[in-house]
Amino acid sequence: MERLRKRKIQNNIAIGFSLLASIIGLFWLVFILFDVLRHGLSFFDLNLFIEDPAPPGFEGGGMRNAFIGQFMITGCAIVIGIPFGILGGTFLSEYGRMTKIGRLISVISDIMISVPTIVVGTFIYSLMVKPLGHFSGWAGSVSLAMIMIPVTLRTTEDMMSLVPWSIREAAFALGAPYYKVIIQVVYRGAIAGILTGILLSIARIAGETAPLLFTSFNNSFISLNMEEPMASLTVTIFQYATGPYDDWHAMAWAASFVIILAILLLTVLGRLLVIFKYSSK
Amino acid sequence: MPGNKNIKLYSKNLSFFYGNNQAVFDVSIEIPQHSIVAMIGPSGCGKTTFLRCFNRMHDLYPGNRYQGEIFFDNQNILSKNIDVTLLRSKIGMVFQKPTPFPMSISDNISYGLKLNGIKNKTEIKDRVESALRSSALWKEVKDRLKLPATGLSGGQQQRLVIARALAVEPQVMLFDEPTSALDPISTSKIEELAAELKKKVTIIIVTHNMQQAARISDYTAFMYMGKLIEYDETNVMFTNPQEKLSEDYITGRFG
Ligand SMILES: Nc1ncnc2c1ncn2[C@@H]1O[C@H](COP(=O)(O)OP(=O)(O)OP(=O)(O)O)[C@@H](O)[C@H]1O
Ligand SMILES: [Mg+2]
Repeated sequence: MERLRKRKIQNNIAIGFSLLASIIGLFWLVFILFDVLRHGLSFFDLNLFIEDPAPPGFEGGGMRNAFIGQFMITGCAIVIGIPFGILGGTFLSEYGRMTKIGRLISVISDIMISVPTIVVGTFIYSLMVKPLGHFSGWAGSVSLAMIMIPVTLRTTEDMMSLVPWSIREAAFALGAPYYKVIIQVVYRGAIAGILTGILLSIARIAGETAPLLFTSFNNSFISLNMEEPMASLTVTIFQYATGPYDDWHAMAWAASFVIILAILLLTVLGRLLVIFKYSSK
Repeated sequence: MPGNKNIKLYSKNLSFFYGNNQAVFDVSIEIPQHSIVAMIGPSGCGKTTFLRCFNRMHDLYPGNRYQGEIFFDNQNILSKNIDVTLLRSKIGMVFQKPTPFPMSISDNISYGLKLNGIKNKTEIKDRVESALRSSALWKEVKDRLKLPATGLSGGQQQRLVIARALAVEPQVMLFDEPTSALDPISTSKIEELAAELKKKVTIIIVTHNMQQAARISDYTAFMYMGKLIEYDETNVMFTNPQEKLSEDYITGRFG
């Protein structure tokens, strides 16, 4: 009896501590979200989306250039990153699963995932910005793609490895060549997981600032030319929030709100996909 | 041994190695056309390994090595210039655990058809139906062909997998303990199916169930430690085995 009571007390203490820790962690998270929501909503208006920035010191203006820039940079990053991520993950899980080179790529991409994104930014800076002599939207996309690739690569690999080998064998036994086994059977089984991974990696790059500071930089005018410096929400937020004007701060809040909302949506969508996948079984 | 019957498939001094680990030793066996051959033997004696040589399943894993020959329609299928995917479309296989693909019931079956270049929608639909009928599954699934195959019961999944293999009209079917995870009713359905199939295809079936081997097979092969100990007509094997090892195993007096 004595032992049992002691164990119960220990148990409760452990539960208490972990509860406390998660409350402290969550508190700040909710605090930030709530603060952004409060400020963001109060400064939120349509002009944010349809007007370009007013010259410094003038009232009004919006962030149309930054929204469009963000879309283009992220869009191109996705277009560059996803094929590499998926094909690389396919290589690791299928053709390269027992090879040295496969294991090497696996390890390197794990390292890449934890590399600070600012390092990726400086790397692309020295590779694309310095030699060409100017910042560009492309450089921004490439640096975001570099952040995205290892994440999608590893999720793709993991999700494909979860498809049992017996299923592949059954497809081979029907006389399917390997590429058809992969495309028609393995991808079919892994698709929900891969999509989730992609959505989460998009959510991840959507909030990146550091790599863009070194690559696409910023542009106060609207630009659809990926060869030129390009505005992005995150960099604009950074500049407005650290700038001297009150209405800049207001717009930074509003833009933060939009970006957080977008990331939230992507993440929830990703989670829903997972739930949908497991409930449909 | 099997008299002057038509030999569909035979191995000649077949050995198999997982890396340096030999699992099949010098097996020569003749499989007569339109017959059912049961492979029996204690766990780990190499039945699965032997069976998987016939559709070159071992090719999927590096380090595996065949030695000897297997002739299928008088062609050595272990030779290097054999088109393995073509071979596998002629020699179907059903595994111990059901292996439905992560797609709908009808897609599971049309998969193999499409692999074989059948594109015509009505032809696919007809062949899906006839495959499901021949594996006695049609009545149970005809209203949910578009639903995921993973929603079927284990026994239904196994019959679906058999239907899928049959749809491509193979000449030989390899069964590796197809009923070991099934209830008696599903088992007897699959046994009936095998007896029916015999008219069109040649069957090798691995089983741990002596009654099953006795019920459905024409010939029985007893393997022990990677070697083929005895191979004869099933009624001879079960009533008058020549080898002491086979007799001990069949009568359940095995160490
Ligand atoms: N992938 C593998 N790598 C190395 N050795 C293996 C492999 N698969 C099987 N073996 C070995 O080969 C031998 C034969 O195995 P096999 O699976 O063919 O036996 P089995 O007769 O089918 O047994 P069971 O009745 O339990 O299914 C065993 O000794 C086993 O340990
Ligand atoms: Mg086996």
